[in-house]
Amino acid sequence: MSTRAHGTKVVTPDDITSEVVYCYDRSLEGLLSAIFAAYANHEDPTDVVCEQHLQPRLGQRVSFIETDLHHAERVRKGIEARCGWRTFDAVKKASLSERHDAGTAAYRFVRYALDEQKRRDCSRCRKRKSCKGVGGKGPCSKLRGRALSDITHPAVEPMHRILRSIDQECEHMRQFIRFEHLRDAEVDLWYARCNPKSSVIPLVMDHFVERFNVQPFIIYDEEHHLAGVYEGRSWYLVPTEETGSPELRLPDRAADEAPMQQAWKRFYRTVAVESRYNPELRQHFMPKRFWRNLTELQEDLPSLAPRSSHLTGNSGMNDSEHVPPCCQK
Amino acid sequence: MEIAEKLELLADAAKYDVACTSSGVQRSGKKGQLGSATMAGCCHSFSADGRCITLLKVLMTNVCIYDCAYCVNRASNENVQRTCFRPRELAELTIGFYRRNYIEGLFLSSGVVRDPDFTSELMCETFRILREDLGFRGYIHAKVVPGTSPELMDRIGYLVDRMSVNLELPSNSSLQLLAPQKSREDILMPMRRIESMRAEDGDTRALMSKNTLYMSGRTRLVRKTRAYVPAGQSTQMIVGASPESDLQILNLTASLYRTFAMKRVFFSAYLPVNEDARLPSTDAVQLDREHRLYQADWLLRFYGYDVTEIIDERAPFLDTAIDPKANWALNHLDLFPVEVNTAPLEQLVRVPGIGIRGAQLILRARRQSTLHEQELRALGVAYKRARYFITCNGRYEGAGVAFTREALRARLAAPIQGGRHGRRAARALPGQLNLFDSVETPEKLRGTRSETALPAAANPLPEPEALFAS
Repeated sequence: MSTRAHGTKVVTPDDITSEVVYCYDRSLEGLLSAIFAAYANHEDPTDVVCEQHLQPRLGQRVSFIETDLHHAERVRKGIEARCGWRTFDAVKKASLSERHDAGTAAYRFVRYALDEQKRRDCSRCRKRKSCKGVGGKGPCSKLRGRALSDITHPAVEPMHRILRSIDQECEHMRQFIRFEHLRDAEVDLWYARCNPKSSVIPLVMDHFVERFNVQPFIIYDEEHHLAGVYEGRSWYLVPTEETGSPELRLPDRAADEAPMQQAWKRFYRTVAVESRYNPELRQHFMPKRFWRNLTELQEDLPSLAPRSSHLTGNSGMNDSEHVPPCCQK
Repeated sequence: MEIAEKLELLADAAKYDVACTSSGVQRSGKKGQLGSATMAGCCHSFSADGRCITLLKVLMTNVCIYDCAYCVNRASNENVQRTCFRPRELAELTIGFYRRNYIEGLFLSSGVVRDPDFTSELMCETFRILREDLGFRGYIHAKVVPGTSPELMDRIGYLVDRMSVNLELPSNSSLQLLAPQKSREDILMPMRRIESMRAEDGDTRALMSKNTLYMSGRTRLVRKTRAYVPAGQSTQMIVGASPESDLQILNLTASLYRTFAMKRVFFSAYLPVNEDARLPSTDAVQLDREHRLYQADWLLRFYGYDVTEIIDERAPFLDTAIDPKANWALNHLDLFPVEVNTAPLEQLVRVPGIGIRGAQLILRARRQSTLHEQELRALGVAYKRARYFITCNGRYEGAGVAFTREALRARLAAPIQGGRHGRRAARALPGQLNLFDSVETPEKLRGTRSETALPAAANPLPEPEALFAS
């Protein structure tokens, strides 16, 4: 009784259900802002999820985090200075993942990595006299990247699983993207459609730009409505949620496209050894979700029209003027 | 003839070549040139048999003056339509496929038309067009035609990434029986040549790059020259067409790695495509045997096993019920269990269920935490198999099963997954009574069918000029 009279904090319903979930938009900056908010509010959210995965648990309070570029930048600098760029790279990759627990895993991982830095014991370090960061005052170069290699720690292990799935999806993209040659009077470009689980186009663009630097190309991610565009000099990403898919403004296939696809299909059918027929093995290496964009597994040329229905409303938009200048000859 | 038709014929003839990988060389892209290559290679597709398609695998021509019993393209086979690529059209087809990201590069083999040098000239011209005229930086694998002159081989070697010479059969006597026109010397000579040229090229490059030449001053290569076969050489042999045991095959393999610094030795289970009195016809296709041989090959190349540890005279064939690594562990139970938290890498990789990657992860993870079952599972180790051979922090993990050869063998024996379709689904036991005295493969059946479709292939070996005329 007497303690309450002395003005200690009154227990409110919010405190009983003190579990909180942070909700951010799908971007990396959103995730970093959420991490910033957790430190700023002295809170430890049980979940950090992006909007489309938001499903609050019973009694959980939802806190929507506004994306703030300054906060995100501070978090980036902090992680890179204390834990090294590899750690930040891991966070960056995790933010692209489609798994519902990716945000939480990244938050827990960052918290663990930063705590490791703070918790260190400098008393037996040989460099403690010259080091500016003794006793947690600054970053310690010896501990950089240590968090990532503690693979079995419960805060790090989920992160590794996410990173592995992202890397695998990148490899799938490098394997299974198929370009088509499109051309008309003014445009000459190579176009590929893909449907990765995670939005990995930003991670694989470098590979394709290096390899196909002689051909302007567009890689369009149907799942995340994101186009990676290379115009002959540099590449950039174009989100197409508002503008509609690029297919509406694409020229038709070039004359050499159909015979090449035909030749490739014939080659593909021929090269299998019948006595070794083993479709399970093929499906293991080449999952069925990729088949609809693989040339060799299709009967005839699919139409270039967009597949998703909600985009057809934009078909009124006009064509040639919207072609990026880079793709014009 | 239309190009797609040609491609079909020549890919059909090349598909039994197994040495098809795109790994071993790292080459970055270059502004204005098409292509790059990565160390690990990249599989761009998988055919219905589950094998990877990484390179455009074709023959230059399926005309052949040799008459090897096991080969579809042998001179005496009249059921095959003969054709040939022109160098430029093949180069342009490769570029067309490459730009669409269908393939990682070109794999070119050939039947022998007129003589080995003429054939190699055609292949060399294709590579030259690709590299010099079209500026292609992707992967190229060339099969050496036995009997090619050394000068021509060197020219090819500076254009391609990998070269391979087919060993064909694991012993000289089998070679004489089944491929009487090829001699062992014809096959080993080019291997030796490639190896010595590669060593010489490597030495030169090392000297030039480190500036260690005496009185060199500012010695620099004026122009960056192409390396000689930077991805090394490989070879392949047919398993099951001749009576050699696994012991002979693996000993041969190990000596190839030792003497010729091979990157890979491929095994190809013999598939009956021809009817010939010299060939075995009663035995089933030995896909499981091929699988075990590859496992043994991995142990030789990555795990640091010596060939004598894998196989010896007492059991000259590998056990099909259990893999060679588990078999070695069962024969050396006195070396187990090992402590995962302290054992060195060489010991960890010898534990069944822990591979190279698993062992490296264990080394990395145990610097910061003690490993138990849960941690090992999180690392992706096959704990189910490994637990009989390890202790975690002093505690033996395989309790409940007697630590004897027989009991553990029953736990570790696992059939090879061959898929639920095709001939590996129906498991014939070895030695099982067979009603038919020959194996029917789809390839063989098709051969007899096409006999009726193409009654008279007037001249099975047309002149090269006639091929190019069309």
